[in-house]
Amino acid sequence: MNEFSPLEGIGHVVLDVILALAPLVLFFIAYQVISLRLPRAYVTGLFKGIVITLIGMVLFFQGVAIAFIPAGQSIGAYFGSSDYVWALVPFGFFLGFLTTYAEPAVRVLCYQIEQSSSGYIRGSLILYTLSFGVAVSVGLGMARIIYGFSFLPLMIAGYILAILLIRFADRDFVAIAFDSGGVATGPMAVTFLMSLAVGVAASMEGRNAVTEGFGLIAFIALAPILSVLVLGILFKHKKGGKT
Amino acid sequence: MQDYKETFKEVLQAILPICIVILLLQVFLLGASVTEVLEFIFGAAMVVVGIALFLIGVKIGLLPMGEAIGAEMPKSGSLLIIVAVAFFFGFLTTVAEPDVRVLTMMIDSVSGGGIAQTPTILVIAVGVGFFVATAILRIIYRVPIMYLLAAGYGGVILLSFITPPEFLPIAFDAGGVTTGPITVPFILALGVGVTSVLGGRSALSDGFGLIGLASIGPILGVMLMGVVTAL
Repeated sequence: MNEFSPLEGIGHVVLDVILALAPLVLFFIAYQVISLRLPRAYVTGLFKGIVITLIGMVLFFQGVAIAFIPAGQSIGAYFGSSDYVWALVPFGFFLGFLTTYAEPAVRVLCYQIEQSSSGYIRGSLILYTLSFGVAVSVGLGMARIIYGFSFLPLMIAGYILAILLIRFADRDFVAIAFDSGGVATGPMAVTFLMSLAVGVAASMEGRNAVTEGFGLIAFIALAPILSVLVLGILFKHKKGGKT
Repeated sequence: MQDYKETFKEVLQAILPICIVILLLQVFLLGASVTEVLEFIFGAAMVVVGIALFLIGVKIGLLPMGEAIGAEMPKSGSLLIIVAVAFFFGFLTTVAEPDVRVLTMMIDSVSGGGIAQTPTILVIAVGVGFFVATAILRIIYRVPIMYLLAAGYGGVILLSFITPPEFLPIAFDAGGVTTGPITVPFILALGVGVTSVLGGRSALSDGFGLIGLASIGPILGVMLMGVVTAL
């Protein structure tokens, strides 16, 4: 492991990616033959796209395996076995804010919300609300591992809160909220933050890496839903005040 | 080419800040060796190029495929075909979704192979497929979305009492990773295809909820897997 060997095991990754994409492509080919009958040149263009996707996925998986997963686990293990394990809570908060603030998909969502509130709610306010929401989620997720809170009550409380907020939020915002659950669970959350959590749980005594290491993504997925619903309530009040 | 540049810029912008934080920690906190730092930089560069190519490829390859099938499928007029295609859309896109692979790979390695990767992917994919098919039926029969969300999450809460505790966080995580860059556009294309052919239903308000519903499937699926494993 001490040698610089960034391409180790890449053959396996290539095979894995081909197996992942093949069923979807075969499904399309079957549809094409039976009923679509798109022009040949067009289909060739689509297949170029598939090849680019395939290369991209291979690079992504290999890069994640040699960079983010080992880094996350060793940083997590360092904190987990140190005396200042509590520092993971502010650190998680900081990382959550940083990843969300920098994520382009989040910017798209902000623009979308600004549009549907016809400018009442500014894009920058939405960006900070979302980033803050995810930051709290990651901080809470870290606190759960460190202090051993149980997972299910927190999760159920989150969903009950979401259902309660629906009643007070503007209808358009409810639609956006539930479709926005995925914006923050991007590749950085899934690779780095998850390995960090697993590293912490594996290195702390009395913690089970399977039970305590996972669950962070579930917290992160809730954050945009709750944040957008809160903005929806804010918007309803602003709108109500003006008319 | 403009597209390529723009995509690379966006991906770099999203990933660079956290890479800098990781590098600083590796050097100053962990005292990482030169090899480790080099591997991280090389790997991070692969991730940036990889995500950018992946996004571009999806846009010019998979996405038009999904739209073509989504627009063609309702013309068959057969409810059975529509529901079957909806199921396969959910299932096949989830099998291809990168985040689902990373999560299941981690679960496999952390559990020491106890919760193996391939069966977990299949369970998550069946869950998504089942709920996408249900969501399409909802649009056709005009069942209010709240009923389905309530039934879905009600089921989640009930099942959570008999699910072995080590499967709970994994189940909810599985619900979070299915809303990825392949699944979301495919499912939205399907929703738009169905609503446009049915007529009288708005693509916006009826199409909404497909993604929210789709993420309930994997939670229920992985919980059931846990219950069955514990038997």
